[in-house]
Amino acid sequence: MNCEYGEKLILYTYGEAGQGLAAEVEAHLPGCASCRAELAALRAAGGALSAFKAEPSRNTVLAVLRAARAAAEGRRGFRFSWGEALLSGALASAMAFVFAFSGRTAAADLAWNSGLDSGLDSVEYSVYQAQADALSAQGDWEYGLSDLEDESLDFSKNV
Amino acid sequence: MSEENTDPELVSAFKAGDAEALGLLMQRHQAALFGYLLRLTGRRDAAEDLFQEVFLKLVRNPGAYNEREKFKAWLFTVARNAAMDHFRRGSARGEVSLYGDGDKPGPADFTASAEPGPAEAFYGKTEAARIDAALASLSPDQREVFYLRHYSELSFKEIAETLKVPIGTVLARMSRAAARLREKLGGDAQ
Repeated sequence: MNCEYGEKLILYTYGEAGQGLAAEVEAHLPGCASCRAELAALRAAGGALSAFKAEPSRNTVLAVLRAARAAAEGRRGFRFSWGEALLSGALASAMAFVFAFSGRTAAADLAWNSGLDSGLDSVEYSVYQAQADALSAQGDWEYGLSDLEDESLDFSKNV
Repeated sequence: MSEENTDPELVSAFKAGDAEALGLLMQRHQAALFGYLLRLTGRRDAAEDLFQEVFLKLVRNPGAYNEREKFKAWLFTVARNAAMDHFRRGSARGEVSLYGDGDKPGPADFTASAEPGPAEAFYGKTEAARIDAALASLSPDQREVFYLRHYSELSFKEIAETLKVPIGTVLARMSRAAARLREKLGGDAQ
């Protein structure tokens, strides 16, 4: 083709020619068999590509979707939300309130507020004292035993 | 999220944890992207691998896509780069590269039709074969631009940015492709 309309024809064919250029090409076409043949060839080739529909396999699509779900779940885990933060704060405050006030009313029923505790203290002390006495006696006994052991040692030396 | 949401909105939703948004995005672009990869590689298994690779890039690092950018431009840029890497790896393993190796033809030099079927039914076997042969006669550069324009529907300016060449180069390649197709297919516009 010698008409030098090659690139203009391309822009026109693919809808990228401005109004002026489009009008120029349209005026040129009736008088140029070569350009008309090129236009037809481009449309035929484009039509053939469009008619041939190809899609990726189901396995390929699923593999991408699975990866997308995993990635999205990972991203959701670290996402900060003001709504969730406020709700958490409100719940924590409510729990603290319930704990604080329910604890005071229950305290009166606890053993150490009932006077029973002082009685238990004296019982505990008596038990402790008895244990201490027993340990002390055991200590005397062990001391005596150690004397005997010392004597046996002396005996062995004399042999 | 729904089909009415824009691509950037779907990516944002996915970043925020909505996996369905990614599914919608994939559904929207899968036919065009897969068709492009299939034509580029000439092999279904390679196209499947590359398709998965492209979307997994987005899944693993959604921040790689800048929402001010046109999503399709980003998608097809990633796809093209993945295909180039694929052919470079294949070349390193002793397999043929996209553009062949000296006298040995590459996948781009084989007929572009990976799977006959619907096109043949639409055009008839003979015509589909003629068109496939005409596409196969294009140079790799011409074929790449032609496929990219057809499948991505990006403007020639955006294609120039994707390929990192001047827009004049893109238009020149397309013009030469059109001339070649005219030679092979003949006929008249009427």
